[in-house]
Amino acid sequence: MFPDEFYDFLLDGVLTIGLTHYLILSVLLFSLGILCMVTKRNAIGILIGVELVLNAASINFVAFSKYQTGGLDGHIVALFIILLAAAEAAIAIAIFMNFYNTLRTIDVDRGDELRL
Amino acid sequence: MDHQYESLLAIGVLIPLIGFVILALFGHRFGKPYASYVAFAAIVISCILATWVLVGWHGTGDAARDELTKNAYRYHWGSMGDISIDVGVKLDSLTVIMFFMVTFVSSCIFFFSIGYMEGHSDEIDGQSKYHRFFCYFSLFAFSMLGLVVSSSLLFLFIFWELVGLCSYLLIGFYFDKKFASDAAIKAFVTNRVGDFGFIIGLAMVVLYLGTFDLDEAARNFSTDFYAGTGIFASSINLFGWQVSGMTLATLMGIGLFCGAMGKSAQFPLHVWLPDAMAGPTPVSALIHAATMVAAGVYLVARVFRLLTPDAQFFVAVIGCITLTITALIAIVQTDIKKVLAYSTLSQLGYMIFGLGVGAWVAALFHLMTHAFFKAMLFLCSGQVIEGCHHEQHITKMGGLRKKMPFTCWTFFVGVLAIAGFGIPWTHAGLGGFFSKDEILAVAYERTYNWHDTDAPSESHSATSEPPSVKAVSAPHQTHPPSETPEQHAGSIQPVRHAGSTAFTEGGSDDGIHGGTDDAHGGDHHATGTPKKTGIAATLPALPKWMFYLPIIIAYVTPFYMMRCWWLTFCGKPRDKHVYDHAHENWKMFVPLVVLAVGTVFCSYYVFRPLIHHAASGEMGATHTPAIVAFDGTAKTIADAGDKMMMTLTHDEGKDPHHALIGLVGFAWIIGIGIAWLIYRNGLAVGKRITQIWPISWCHRALVQKLYFDHVYDNVLVGGTIVLGAVAYLFDKIVVDGLVNLTAAFGRVIGIFTGRQLDMPVERYDIGLVDAIANGIARVAMGIGTVARRPQSGRIRTYVLIATGSVAVVLAAALIAGAAD
Repeated sequence: MFPDEFYDFLLDGVLTIGLTHYLILSVLLFSLGILCMVTKRNAIGILIGVELVLNAASINFVAFSKYQTGGLDGHIVALFIILLAAAEAAIAIAIFMNFYNTLRTIDVDRGDELRL
Repeated sequence: MDHQYESLLAIGVLIPLIGFVILALFGHRFGKPYASYVAFAAIVISCILATWVLVGWHGTGDAARDELTKNAYRYHWGSMGDISIDVGVKLDSLTVIMFFMVTFVSSCIFFFSIGYMEGHSDEIDGQSKYHRFFCYFSLFAFSMLGLVVSSSLLFLFIFWELVGLCSYLLIGFYFDKKFASDAAIKAFVTNRVGDFGFIIGLAMVVLYLGTFDLDEAARNFSTDFYAGTGIFASSINLFGWQVSGMTLATLMGIGLFCGAMGKSAQFPLHVWLPDAMAGPTPVSALIHAATMVAAGVYLVARVFRLLTPDAQFFVAVIGCITLTITALIAIVQTDIKKVLAYSTLSQLGYMIFGLGVGAWVAALFHLMTHAFFKAMLFLCSGQVIEGCHHEQHITKMGGLRKKMPFTCWTFFVGVLAIAGFGIPWTHAGLGGFFSKDEILAVAYERTYNWHDTDAPSESHSATSEPPSVKAVSAPHQTHPPSETPEQHAGSIQPVRHAGSTAFTEGGSDDGIHGGTDDAHGGDHHATGTPKKTGIAATLPALPKWMFYLPIIIAYVTPFYMMRCWWLTFCGKPRDKHVYDHAHENWKMFVPLVVLAVGTVFCSYYVFRPLIHHAASGEMGATHTPAIVAFDGTAKTIADAGDKMMMTLTHDEGKDPHHALIGLVGFAWIIGIGIAWLIYRNGLAVGKRITQIWPISWCHRALVQKLYFDHVYDNVLVGGTIVLGAVAYLFDKIVVDGLVNLTAAFGRVIGIFTGRQLDMPVERYDIGLVDAIANGIARVAMGIGTVARRPQSGRIRTYVLIATGSVAVVLAAALIAGAAD
């Protein structure tokens, strides 16, 4: 039904999972994260966006480490990113709490003044 | 249809997931009654599939079942290094029967919820929560069924966390109420403590046994034990800490059991379950009585083959403590759901205790019967609460018998079942009669008949001794010196005999003593000579208190249940408002009747044989000697076939329905009778009794739930707050102090230099330095006015600019690269 090249492409390029797939996933995640950060006004939404971006970076690290450089460096960096993301989330949520206590909202657009 | 049963079970797991997805996406459009129909339809289809499998499985011969278990389909999902991660259905009798139990009880409770939630799902922010309830319920059904069928510890853990999540969501269903959201958080956090242990145990299984698969782990465990390798190696370096293999294996078992402690709410993590009653009553019935809390027991049963004698002993001790303290607290509770919650805890304690002493069959049988009658009791309480206009205090009820006859009598069936109603000397009674007594019988064997005689009997042939000694002594060299003397006695004398207890072991294929033992197994049986080998030889006898505490609690259980029933349904109405409002609803009592019929009929003759088969099949499939499965009816090793398990056939003469009758046979009559004597005329007598001096003191302690919550509040929560305060002070004094000091220093220098350089002495113009400074400031301000325009203070602008510029740079670099 289709030329042989198509099936080759399907088998090697699409069905056999390779670096490209991971990068595409990572790009999608990254873009969604950025989109989330840009469109959300809710502080928690922005935090979720940031987490998506960080995870996209982790995936890139691990993927390159597996397919390109070898070794465990990428994995270690990914672990660091997870750790950092957790710490960052803790601090961010603490900031949001203070934000809320001050402004009675977590709409970040309301906090554009750098003062009370 | 090679893999017919696995497929059916897998489909049965997935259907509630489909229901969940539909409800999650479109639930709010279905509106009030229709959302519940989706969930109900999904679980009923699962239940039909489960019944199909159960009937088919029932008609399959034992040998064919073992074949099916062994050849169950596994899908290779991925690899982690050398360890393969497989998805599959653990197909054996236990799975089949648990699956049926979960789907059947769920179906009844889903049906009940349709009626119950009509009056209990208020709107929050203009959105009805009705569909949300059924959405969570479907997710729970999916995760619980997944947990039951998982063949691999990894997936078991994943589903384990999923049911925890559902429990959290449903306890906090009324999240707009503070106590409900607090209870949800408490349940979740307490479960995390247990899961911490579970994940350590899981990691140790992977690390030392090198597999996720339950059967393979057990096989490796057994092989390692005989060879003295792997986890049983004489000395293992754990982060520079030398541990003997046996201790490590015990730690692994205790780690896995920690998960069960959290989920099954065992002491000291039992505090979350009573608070979990803040959720809607069907949730309490399904999740916090019948299924999810039983998952811990199920887990222990599944990993039972990985428990060393010490770990088993630990399990038994925890179970014994739990069943005792919670039953005592249940006596003084006045909230109808709290009484049931504490009785659930106590029954879970019985199951865990049963597993710990080796009453594998009895404990799981108790799980089944308990699921039926406790779900029914909770649904009855839901009916009462709904009928009495959200009144939960039994002190305000009374005399509801005439207003809600169905609820009253189904509740009474539940009371009889949990009390262990049965006619002594016969095999007639409700499920609890058999299961509880069987656990006690095994405990009796383990307490009194374990060290009966160490002298080899005449019929014991000398030739059989060397292989047993060899098999046992090899791993025993690895015993750490810290082991109890009791166990050392066990290890020195590997071949022991218990007068009335026949220990037999089937063949093994690990080569060390397989053939010999097999040959002698029949011999031992024929001559009635018992012997213990393998890990079982190191099992210590139980201390006596671990036998007598459960006996005492067997008297307490009927007492508090009868108290609850009598105060609710009998006597004179104590609150006119409640009494007038009481009514029944057919949507709610129909499932009650179904469950009551289930409680009465499908206990001993349907479940018991299947679970017994699960015990032998479980062992047979995996060749594990580590298991001691006690059994009240299997008379010969031939029942276990060529199964590599230690089957203890306990003497018919020691059957609790005969031998222990003086101790527990009449417990239900006495307990119910005392409750009736005290409460037949209302609360007055009970109140007077609690004022007698030593009882009043105990009463106060019990009302305060033995101060567990206080201790946890002060030590853990308070400790965290103190730690926070200390950190705050450090921040304020040391960190801020340093900053302020630096600032003060700079200020002093500034004042000093200012005085030196800038001397506005009686002149109109300002000094040179000021002029320069002001000029710079003016320039800076001009630049600032221009530069602040893009600085809107809005994050989205910044992100847009940043990503936009990166994109431009990237595009430029790519174009430049392409141009090269």
